[in-house]
Amino acid sequence: MASQYGIKLAVYLVSSYFGDLVAKVCECLLRRGTLPWRSIVQFTELNPTQVKNSLLVLIQHNCVQAFAMEQEGVFGEAPKVVTQYMALFDNIIHHMRFPKFLAIVSEELGKECEEILEGLLQHGRLSLNQILDRHKETSNQSGGNCTAQDALQKNFSRLLCVRYVERCPAHEPFIAPPNEEGAAVKKRGAKSAKVTEELQTIEQRALAAAAPMEALRFLFETYTETDDHELESEENLSNMEVGQKRKHVDSEAGTNKRKKEVLWRANFEQFVRRLRHKACIENARTRLDDGAAIVLSAILEASRSSETKVKVESSIPLSMNTIFEEVMKSEDGRIMTLEHVRTALAQLAAISIDETYSVDLKSIIELAQNEEVESIVLKRYGREAYRMFRLLSKAGHLLETDKISDTTFVEKKETAKILFKLWKDDYLHMEKIVASAGRQSQFLLWKVNKHSLWGHVLDEMYHAALNLRIRNAHEQEQEKEILQIPREKLVGDLEKRSKRLRKVRIVLESSLMRLDEAIMIFHDF
Amino acid sequence: MSRSQETLSLKRKRPEPNALALTPENVLLNLIKSKGDMGIWKADMKRETNLSEPVVTKALKALQGRNLIKEVVNIQNKGRKHYMAAEFEPSKELTGGAWYTEGNLDKDFIDILKKSCSKIIGKFKVATAQGVYDFCKDNKIISVDITTQQILEILRSMVLDNEIVEVKSTGLGEFHKIPVGTVCYRTASGMGLGQGPKVGAMASIPCGACPRINQCTPDGIISPKTCKYYQKWLDFGI
Repeated sequence: MASQYGIKLAVYLVSSYFGDLVAKVCECLLRRGTLPWRSIVQFTELNPTQVKNSLLVLIQHNCVQAFAMEQEGVFGEAPKVVTQYMALFDNIIHHMRFPKFLAIVSEELGKECEEILEGLLQHGRLSLNQILDRHKETSNQSGGNCTAQDALQKNFSRLLCVRYVERCPAHEPFIAPPNEEGAAVKKRGAKSAKVTEELQTIEQRALAAAAPMEALRFLFETYTETDDHELESEENLSNMEVGQKRKHVDSEAGTNKRKKEVLWRANFEQFVRRLRHKACIENARTRLDDGAAIVLSAILEASRSSETKVKVESSIPLSMNTIFEEVMKSEDGRIMTLEHVRTALAQLAAISIDETYSVDLKSIIELAQNEEVESIVLKRYGREAYRMFRLLSKAGHLLETDKISDTTFVEKKETAKILFKLWKDDYLHMEKIVASAGRQSQFLLWKVNKHSLWGHVLDEMYHAALNLRIRNAHEQEQEKEILQIPREKLVGDLEKRSKRLRKVRIVLESSLMRLDEAIMIFHDF
Repeated sequence: MSRSQETLSLKRKRPEPNALALTPENVLLNLIKSKGDMGIWKADMKRETNLSEPVVTKALKALQGRNLIKEVVNIQNKGRKHYMAAEFEPSKELTGGAWYTEGNLDKDFIDILKKSCSKIIGKFKVATAQGVYDFCKDNKIISVDITTQQILEILRSMVLDNEIVEVKSTGLGEFHKIPVGTVCYRTASGMGLGQGPKVGAMASIPCGACPRINQCTPDGIISPKTCKYYQKWLDFGI
């Protein structure tokens, strides 16, 4: 379940991209959890068509996933299959990261690929034909240009090859009710059984069931008729359960021959993984040096294709030769000697087993999380509190007030005061111990409870991100008139105001970018 | 000095053994002595001896006048009158340890030590606590007597300040002089060179330092639209 301000931010984002109606439906799902369509209508008090259309928008933009589940019938009725809708919190938040995703593709694969991705991000999910159409429109070409089409397909398969684009998940996978899990898992075959075994919630099971098979997920082929038929029959099956939604769309389409095409979308997971790598490399650069950053970057680059999930704890073990080979590929890496690489690996505290090296990425992320929280403590409570917080955070267990005072060189009275302040704001956990013997009868013990504190900090960061967005919108709104005046007419006072507005926007947007990186460190990495 | 006083008081006591239990002065002196280097608080004396306040005060004055006892500062409770026999030195619990003088944390001394340590480590790039201590001794950087333990404490607090980093020697590169596995200290390398703590993303915007973030809501009395911290932050003086 997302945190309080996480939800508020998500709702604000949806409202600014798709309007208030959609936001209301989305909020209902985020706050109340997975619901069938009827309950959404009931809770939001919107009319059924509005809810249906809102859900369609959210599904199109990958913010909601539907799945079918058998429900026991009331009053002795036969059990029936009900379509449930669940909001995908992470995907909603990813919407504010689109500029970052585009920048990655532009940097790695060039402008043409960036344009394709831009289309996918703007429209949520597209078929290849739609992508082609869009390309024709934007490049103002008078259709049928074969070379352009070939180039586009080539770029598309490049995107697919590095997994920035993936096949959309199934519209509505069928999930067995929780109590019959055992039996159902067997039916669905070995692959999905393996996945579901580890997962608990219905939502996670639904996501796993919806995801296309790994082999199919990044498969690109030009369509043959047989392919279409197969897909079509599959779609038909699920459509019957989806209910009116599809039929409605189809009937609106009128006489158009319904032809199902594979839909594609941006693969957020891969982008998050890239950003995680980047964050690790940057952390190594600031904490250690350029050499360490180059080596870590080489290791991550070499193991790119073999990673399976985002939150891997450590990099895949690589031999010295493989690492060095990859280091040589980059311009900065060419000046490094074998000895230099070895030192960098030692700096990165790479674990070496049988001449292979693996870097603990989880600990790098944890360090970055610590740094972020510590810097908040420094800003809010001052240097002495910072020192105490670091001591407790490093110790990882309870420490007594006097011990803290001795180690941090702060007067005992002052120490108690600062610790108390931190405790009051939930930054520390305190335990009282009353000793019956001895002169001092009461001891106060302190520690940092990372698990709950990190959640608290993340919620505050969502809050701050929301604030930055609201302020930015507010500033633009205030100076609306200036934005409408053509640039040549901006003179004197108006020019000043326009300049300020531009600066405000840059500051707010760049702050939001940085803050979002920190949010990802706590939530996604 | 304390030894001579001890013999002196012993000499004085022997001729009149009966007086020991009789006068309040002797009762108090014995009590104070029995507490050794922990000393005792005036109120506790009163309770343990069942003597009245004026008697105790008078006796203590007399004993102090004869240099048999002294008043010491207890850092746990600076307001309390705490007494100790003249021959004892106050224990660590009372003084607060080596870093306290007269019950106050000697911040100036600590700062000087910190600065010196940071210079020495900056010079060597990497050093052990012993190495820093030896350098101080050899070059007579610090005139006061200090121990390796004290240097270690200083270095550890500097680690907490993020001014230096604690690392284990790998025996490679800059560690070539230090045995593998020894704990040593070095300046934070990379881009954060000696800059101390890095300012995080959250800490660099007003919300990161805002004491009222809990009361802040999009349309409330405290709101990002009307926030005075934002106002100040976004006032570029254009």
